[in-house]
Parts: sequence; C-alpha cells; structure tokens
Amino acid sequence: MAKQYEIPIGAQHISLLEPLHFKFTTENEKIVKTDANVYYVHRGIEQACCSKFKFRQVSFVVGRVCGLCSISHTTAYSQVAEKLVKIEIPKRAKYLRMLVIELDRIHSHLLCLSHVAENSGFEALFMKTMQYREFSMELLEAVCGNRIQYDFSIVGGVARDLKPQVAQSIIERLKKFIPQLDELMDIYKNNWTLSLKNKGAGAITKEDAMRLNVVGPFARAAGLAVDVRNETEDLLPWKEVGYEMITETSGDVYARNLVRLRELYVSIRIIENVINGLPETPLITETKAFPDGEATVRLEAPRGELFYYAKGNKTQVLERLKIKAPTFSNVAAMAEAFTGNEYGSAPAIIASYDPCLSCTAR
Amino acid sequence: MKTFLKTIGNVFKKPVTTKYPFEKTFIPDDYRGLIGFDENLCIWCRRCEMVCPPGAIVFSQDMEGKQTYHFNRAVCIYCGECVRACPKEGAIFQTAEPAPCALKAENINNGWNKLYAEALQSREAYAAEKKKKAAEKAAADKLAAAKKEEGNKTTGDNQTSAV
Repeated sequence: MAKQYEIPIGAQHISLLEPLHFKFTTENEKIVKTDANVYYVHRGIEQACCSKFKFRQVSFVVGRVCGLCSISHTTAYSQVAEKLVKIEIPKRAKYLRMLVIELDRIHSHLLCLSHVAENSGFEALFMKTMQYREFSMELLEAVCGNRIQYDFSIVGGVARDLKPQVAQSIIERLKKFIPQLDELMDIYKNNWTLSLKNKGAGAITKEDAMRLNVVGPFARAAGLAVDVRNETEDLLPWKEVGYEMITETSGDVYARNLVRLRELYVSIRIIENVINGLPETPLITETKAFPDGEATVRLEAPRGELFYYAKGNKTQVLERLKIKAPTFSNVAAMAEAFTGNEYGSAPAIIASYDPCLSCTAR
Repeated sequence: MKTFLKTIGNVFKKPVTTKYPFEKTFIPDDYRGLIGFDENLCIWCRRCEMVCPPGAIVFSQDMEGKQTYHFNRAVCIYCGECVRACPKEGAIFQTAEPAPCALKAENINNGWNKLYAEALQSREAYAAEKKKKAAEKAAADKLAAAKKEEGNKTTGDNQTSAV
C-alpha cells in the first residue's frame, strides 16, 4: 500500500468562492477519501426570522440568505407564508415569479460554468462566459430594480409589475443571447483542453446519486430525473409554460456543464412563453390574516430542490422557520464523487458542484 | 489558421467593458433608489416605520406632539415596502437616484443607533406626558364633577330644608 497524505483545501482558498473545507486523503495523487466541512458561515437567520421580524418582513430577510438564488428563497418563503395565511395568489404574480426565477437561473448557471472553466485552467472562457452573463444581470435590474437583491416576491404576490418596454427588451436580448449560447455550447462540448479536465472527472453513477439523495443539475447529469418543476403544479404552473426535463448520463463535470447549458435553452423558452402569455390580473391578493398552522414548500432553485417549512401561531411572528438548501442535500455526494480522481482536478470538480455555502449554513 | 485570423481580428475590436467614470453605466428608469418623503402630505400614521424590514425609518416626537421623519440610507434595503404600505399617495415615494456612499464623518451606524433610541424615547416621553396630562385632566374633571355634585347636593339640601 502506498503512503497516504492528507491534503486540506479551504476553508479559505483561491479557487473557492465560499468557505468550504475539504480534507482529501490522497495516495499518489489519487484521492481515496474525502471529508467535507461546510458550516463556516452560520449567521442565525432562522432564529432572526422567528424572533425579530414580522412574517411579512421575513421574505426580505430570507432574500439575504443567498445572493445568487435570492429570488428562489423569497418565492419559496412567500409561498409557504401564503399557505399559512390561506390565500391564493393571482395568476399574473405566478407568471412574473417564474420569469424572474428563470432569469436568475440563467445568470446563476452561467456563473457556475464560468467558474468551472476558470478552475479547469481556461481563463479566457471564464471571461467570455462572464461577458455573456452580463445581459441577464441588466435584465434583472430592469425587471426588479436591482442587480442582486431582487425583493420581488412578497407575501400575497409580487412587488412590481412588468412594463411592456422591459418585456420587449427581454425578448430582444434573449434573441441576441441564443447565438452566444450556441457558441458557448460549442466550446464547452468540443474544446479539447477543457475536456482533459472535465471528461470523466468527478463522476457519480445513477445508483450512487439515488442512494445519496442528490438534487439539481448534479443529479440530472447522472441521469436521475429529479426536478421540482416536473413534480409540482399547484404553486407555479411550470408545464404550462413549456418546462422540459434535461438529463445526461455520464455524471461527470462535462455532463454537468452540458446539463446547465441545455437548461438555459429551456429557461429561454420559459421566459418567452411567460412574456407572451402574461395574464391580465391584479398583482397582489390582500389579506389581514395571521399565519396559523404548519406548511411546507418545495421549489427548484438553480442548484436544486429548496425546501421551506414554517409554523405559525396566529401572531405576527412565526414560531419556526426551517430552510433546507440544495447544497446541503448534495454534501454527501460531493465527498463521494471525488474518490478515484486526481488531486489536480479537484478545483474543477468543486466548481462543477456549484456549492452555495451561505445557503447551506445560513 | 482560422483561429489565428480571429485572434488578429480581436485586436481591432472595441472593448466590451464600459469605461465607468467617463461613461454612464446602465441604470433602468425605475431603479430602486433613495426613498423620498413629503412632509406636507404625510398623515403621521407611522405605518412605514412599522413595515420597514431593517428599521431604516423612525419618527421622533417633541413635547408639543409634532413628529419628525428620520431616514438612514445605509440601513435601508430599498425594498419599497414603505411605499406600498403608505395610505396617502405621494407622502413617501421611491426615486431612481442611487444612494451616495456613507462617509466616516456622518457616523452613520452609531449615530443612527443613538438617534433611533432617542426617537423612541422622545415618543415614550410624549406619550407619558400626554397620559399624565390626561390623568390630571381626568382628575380635575372628576374633582369638578364631584364639586358640582356636592354643590347640587347642598343646593338640593338647601331646597329640601327650604321646603
């Protein structure tokens, strides 16, 4: 048996965006065992939501859980609070929520892809992807009024309406984006340099993915068809606007890139359908009821299934709020998928998981 | 060869970035900017203060009962919840102007915390004063009423005695 070395990566490391700590046990550059430690950024948001803030204010607090999937958190919380106060929101609000979630998915997926390229040693592609990502940030700014903290969903509906000229500009910019996306697809699919670090690296089988309860693009790349958009219809009508499941089979970094890129085409289609079929209804359902009882909500964030549980006791302040972020579900599989890979490809594999630690630790 | 020509072509392309201080960056018309306040329209219901998630709005009150509006742009998250909650159209509104940076001289954190506490205290003091005055008035009224009643009684007694 060869001599084993323990190499830590993180919690602060140049190739990591967020404080994530992996401890690799290596044998001649091959990783044989991995330990993961994710709780470095605990901020006590759940406790704050149940003590300091009123239930209508909490949707702005949970938006600050994560910068990238801010809208997913706000929407999931708004939905769970709407279940507690027992109201049905107008259809236009549902459509606008879907629009912003999909725009958010575009910018989140492109960010993840660019980091995979960067961590694989392809700086030029990183810059190119970030350049193409900029349009989605500008569109989000035009729709929500801010680049990163959208504060778009509120309890009972959405905060702002979509202006006709903004809708027009979204359609135009998406048309411009499609050839750029084709170009990116070509590079991520066929570039030889990138394939050296991406093909076969960090692979996980479908059985392992199912056993370890993987969610999001990570699971879909392994061939596991899990997507909340495919399963729930009551809160947001995904199938109505042309949702389609994207899966790959190989489960490696390359497959994850492809899943993300192909999902962007689906997102573009959903956005176009939402804008073309936007119903004319009011934006908010007003209510004066207080939250009562228990409710759970699942929502597909860019990284996978986001889960919210809330309990009310007929007062302004919630009794309990529980957030389960997609990265938390994936941690076990993250540690597993390193096994058998070169230590040198670890950064690219970490980036391809798209870990969001501020969501996980809150 | 194709790649080589593409590379040469890229040399003559315009940069994709914006030269920020010299050029304006993209800001939409309805950007969520600074919160404005119109004192003449305000009905002083304090609903904006109640709904504000971070607590960036506070009203202080002097002893005559006149309220003053305070706003902290560094605490504000520009969600527009105060504008939605306002019952009087135009009393509080959102502009498209981005907030300027806070300077050290403004002492925007500690100064604000102090101001916030003082504002709450001033309101409490006013409420206590009002309560005290009301209690005094009630006591005076009671006294007056008792006196009157007594007076009535005495006159009544006088009347009965007279009869």
